[in-house]
Amino acid sequence: MKASDKSGIYQKFNINVLGSGTQPMMFAHGFGCDQNMFRFLYPYFQDDYKIILFDFVGAGKSDLSAYDSEKYNSLQAYADDVLSICEALELSEVVYVGHSVSAMTGILASIKKPDYFSKLVLIGPSPRYINDGSYNGGFEESAILELLDTLDSNYMGWSQAMAPVIMGNEDRPHLGEELSNSFCQADPEIAKNFARVTFLSDNRDDLKKVSVPSLIIQCKQDVIAPIAVGEYINENIGPSTLKIIDATGHCPNLSAPEETAKAMQDFL
Amino acid sequence: MKIENKQRLRVALDLYNNAPCGAVSFRKDGTIYDVNQTLCTWLGYEKDELLEKRTLPSLFKIGGQIFFETHFYPMIAMQGYIKEIYFDILKKDKSTFHGLINVREIPAYKDNPVSYQATILDIADRRKYEVELLEAKRKAEADSKVKADILATISHEIRTPLNSILGIGNLLHQTPLNKNQQKYAHLLLHSSEHLLSLVNNLLDLSKIEANKLSLETAPFNILELISILKQTFAVKAKEKGIKLRTKVAKHIPPIIEGDQMKLKQVLTNLLGNSIKFTKKGAVELSVTLIEEKGDEICLQFIVKDSGIGIPKEKLESIFHEFEQASHDVSIEFGGTGLGLTISKKLLELQHSHLEVSSELNKGSTFSFAIWFTRSTEKSLAAENSPINEKDHTFEDLRVMVVDDNPSNIFIAEQYLDQWNTDYISVNSGKKAISHLKSYPADIVLLDLQMPELNGYDTARRIREMSLKKQPLIVAFSASTKGEVLKQLQESGIEEHLPKPFHPDELLSILLKFRNRKSSEGAGPDSRIRSRKKSTLHKTKQTPEIEVEENKSFNFSRFEKMANNNPKYLQKFKTSTLDAFREYKKEFNRAVGNSDVEALLALIHKSTMSIYYIQADRLTGLLNDCRDMLQLPDTDNKKLSGFTEVTNREFDIIIEGLDQ
Repeated sequence: MKASDKSGIYQKFNINVLGSGTQPMMFAHGFGCDQNMFRFLYPYFQDDYKIILFDFVGAGKSDLSAYDSEKYNSLQAYADDVLSICEALELSEVVYVGHSVSAMTGILASIKKPDYFSKLVLIGPSPRYINDGSYNGGFEESAILELLDTLDSNYMGWSQAMAPVIMGNEDRPHLGEELSNSFCQADPEIAKNFARVTFLSDNRDDLKKVSVPSLIIQCKQDVIAPIAVGEYINENIGPSTLKIIDATGHCPNLSAPEETAKAMQDFL
Repeated sequence: MKIENKQRLRVALDLYNNAPCGAVSFRKDGTIYDVNQTLCTWLGYEKDELLEKRTLPSLFKIGGQIFFETHFYPMIAMQGYIKEIYFDILKKDKSTFHGLINVREIPAYKDNPVSYQATILDIADRRKYEVELLEAKRKAEADSKVKADILATISHEIRTPLNSILGIGNLLHQTPLNKNQQKYAHLLLHSSEHLLSLVNNLLDLSKIEANKLSLETAPFNILELISILKQTFAVKAKEKGIKLRTKVAKHIPPIIEGDQMKLKQVLTNLLGNSIKFTKKGAVELSVTLIEEKGDEICLQFIVKDSGIGIPKEKLESIFHEFEQASHDVSIEFGGTGLGLTISKKLLELQHSHLEVSSELNKGSTFSFAIWFTRSTEKSLAAENSPINEKDHTFEDLRVMVVDDNPSNIFIAEQYLDQWNTDYISVNSGKKAISHLKSYPADIVLLDLQMPELNGYDTARRIREMSLKKQPLIVAFSASTKGEVLKQLQESGIEEHLPKPFHPDELLSILLKFRNRKSSEGAGPDSRIRSRKKSTLHKTKQTPEIEVEENKSFNFSRFEKMANNNPKYLQKFKTSTLDAFREYKKEFNRAVGNSDVEALLALIHKSTMSIYYIQADRLTGLLNDCRDMLQLPDTDNKKLSGFTEVTNREFDIIIEGLDQ
């Protein structure tokens, strides 16, 4: 591999490596936003792990020109990107922390190359968002179609409506000045495709192929991934632990970082 | 004081409740714990139905709920505020309320945990305008695309007749002329070249606007490119009595990889401009290497002149379409005002930027830098060597010209004759294929747009033939290179000669082929060659026959064009005769089948030939037949009468040409 290829991968995925440990802990953000989703969470592990942060292609500060809607039409493509990062950075024994849809991405990556991973932490995972017979995914198909329709008409202006606001954040020193309304902003086309890939995916059959031990972190009240989904995964995936934490919403990494970190530390 | 405070509090509360915007406070888990009356009224809820019972996201449609979880909440959690996000909110009666939401965090205070306060604006009006604006934008974009398409089509169509004008102009220039005629011919050439450059610029621009232009990276010799540019502009510079200098830094590798055509186009443009706007002094092109990264090198190109300069306030606008520094400039110096726009865009395509600095009456400097890759190739096949078209002969080269338009054939033949090339000409793809069996052509000049078998299909069939040696196939068309390149390659066409072509371009293809052949040596291809000119086709040296002037046609245009050279005259007549025999058949077929389209195609196709022999009566008759066919109920009797007259007219012309 040429040296330039390696620096290329850092740019492509906006990879940031922090922390003073040796075992890698890789954080993979979900649909919406980028690696900043873990700002409150990774500091708990900085002393003991080598923290790998990155943005999936099409999100955050990744190389948008590398996005190709044909290539990224399945979660497997994202999983392959995870593996390519592991390979380029020569990572092994990785603790993979995947939020939301990236929990499934990590599962797919671990099925393909189980040797790269020591443990999986799945925050708010869901193998399928749409209800199917007795399976309760949390959404009726019509609701998901409405969401996709919404994205098509771009009525929420996923990006346009969010005019970047540059403001000082004196009371929030953890936020750089560059952070503003724009950091969860995505190219509308890419957001649309990613939403489609995310909310139409069905990875229930993959769960039983997972051999790497996993921790499932579930919030008490989560519109996107209800408790029933967490229980379903726990029953069907390989070796696993289910931890339900007392938090609301889909992002305990933001709303309850301390509890989330505690659950992870107990598991690790 | 106390009373005043109470009063103020009441006013504040009243304002909160009846403000012209909605207000809602919610906890970390989304639960609403306060809401003002305005919002309740807007949404059709009673306060009690919302307080402690509903969460804010539960008021959104499902898309909004997901957006809240995946985008909205993370943002509030991280930056503590959020500005002007658009949400569709469900009213109690299930209809939609368009709201713009601002949220700020109320930090934890003593026992009170973190909570959030949102203000909501009713943007139904704004929403309506937005939809209208979007629609207007979509329409404007569609309109502009239509305009660009029309521009491209028209420009393209203009290139075809321009081919004839330029070709004939070139030929005319080479015939013995008196002084006045020389001047006219020179003007004709000059103007048609200018028209061609304008049309080419328009085409380029429309392609750039439509994002149809892509970079084509290949190894090329930068030193050679600069030397060609110098030779090209030397004459003009000399005419104006100014110096033209080129400087290339010594350590620049001669062969690099990049888009040579686009670089040449930009430099041609800048040099042309500089020479145009410089009356005395010098124009200088210099190339320096300014940065290196591994195999990548960054070259800076500077074109500096001592010309009239550009006023400061115009430095920006000279890059705009159709703008020159002033109206007077355009009158005095001419030009299309498109060159710099195109150059700038061509450079942007290569991530480069065109910079300009200028001082009025002192001169201007244009510069840009492009990244290239060092080429692994050490040398390139010699091409584009300076050409003097008159000094070449190709007695051992066989060329086949395939074109359905006789005047195009005529023009190509004139040059081939001049260079003593052995050639035959045919007017269809089918004939090309059948003649190739007996005429082992080295080069096939192939028109792309032909009826029945078009150029691509002809090439494909030729490639499938089991010939002793496959010819070099050169596409010959009014299309420009970029758009058809891929199709050309797929059909087995190796070169492209855009019409109107300059004789140099045809010559350089012949030269290149000859060089390639001679380097191959006398291989298995040492066939017995016919001595000049095939006997298959024309070159019958009949003595010139006085053609009787007749109302139906007139050969004076021929005669002028042939400049009293009986050979040329005869040739033109022969090829026009073939064409008219064909036209007559097509005419009868079209009328017999009442096929207006076919008749229209014929009228279009025969325009040039009819023009040359001034067969105006035939034009009138053809148009009459067309009009009659276009009528809803054709008067068949009348039509057959006209058909007969037209046929007679055809016969008179054919007879006249055949004499």
